[in-house]
Amino acid sequence: MTGENCNVLIVDDSALIRQVVKRTLSMAHVPVGQWFEAADGQAALDVLRTNKVDLVLADLHMPTMGGIEMAQHIMADPAMRQIPVIVVSADPNTERLDGLKRQGVRACLRKPFTPEDLRNVVREVLGGPDHE
Amino acid sequence: MKSKSQHLERKRRIIVGMSDARVSDCATELLVTYSLGSCIGVALYDPLVRLAGLLHYQLPSSVQDPARALERPLMYADTGMEQLLGQMEKHGAQRRRMKVILAGAARMLNDTQLFNIGSRNHAAIRKFLWQHNMLIEAEEVGGSVPRTMYVRVLDGTVFLKTKTGVRQL
Repeated sequence: MTGENCNVLIVDDSALIRQVVKRTLSMAHVPVGQWFEAADGQAALDVLRTNKVDLVLADLHMPTMGGIEMAQHIMADPAMRQIPVIVVSADPNTERLDGLKRQGVRACLRKPFTPEDLRNVVREVLGGPDHE
Repeated sequence: MKSKSQHLERKRRIIVGMSDARVSDCATELLVTYSLGSCIGVALYDPLVRLAGLLHYQLPSSVQDPARALERPLMYADTGMEQLLGQMEKHGAQRRRMKVILAGAARMLNDTQLFNIGSRNHAAIRKFLWQHNMLIEAEEVGGSVPRTMYVRVLDGTVFLKTKTGVRQL
């Protein structure tokens, strides 16, 4: 991803969390081309089917369709399974989070998180210490 | 192979006192602040213009005593940071490029649970940085040990010295 702009999809039913994630990635100088937002997993899949997305940051517990089901759809679809998914969740169940990683989710970040925690996870997934 | 402490000894030291801040673009210099207890040392570094700055503030907010803050702005997190950023920008640094490293905010023996200055100092700098769109590159805060903080102007590397030795942050 180095040297290219990255299209980011933020999936969370809290508009505040979506704003915090967006602002943190901007502060970390992640070179974002387009921002997409969705309030649940179904809306996220609709965005993914009609747009080029390079990174998904998703909550687990959302109405209509949660993050686990959404991640399963992404991993099962050959057109989408290469898109890195980062789960950002308050879920205390580490076994569930480990299970998601085994299924192909790239990283899990526990809420509450600091902006630096989020930056570090995104850096790790996109590769490279600095995206300036 | 030189040890970290040997490497620090070869540099000219610019001492940053309590409620003080200094900037330098001289690659042979080292910014140093001693006795960081509940206080916080904030190191800023712009790698493009190779300018380093170091602030040693004592209290979280100038709102507590605006008159004193006018007299000694470097005593407080908010006014101290405004001053340090202003000095660095005057020398060509840009905050979007700056790396931020923090140390201090210890709970010292004379700091009771009631005041808890160290953690309030830490919360204050985090709030200031968030409001100014800046993220922390590295930090070592808390505990109950005093720290000495060194900033190598050559490359912005920060070293911390405690009773257990010197390490890079």
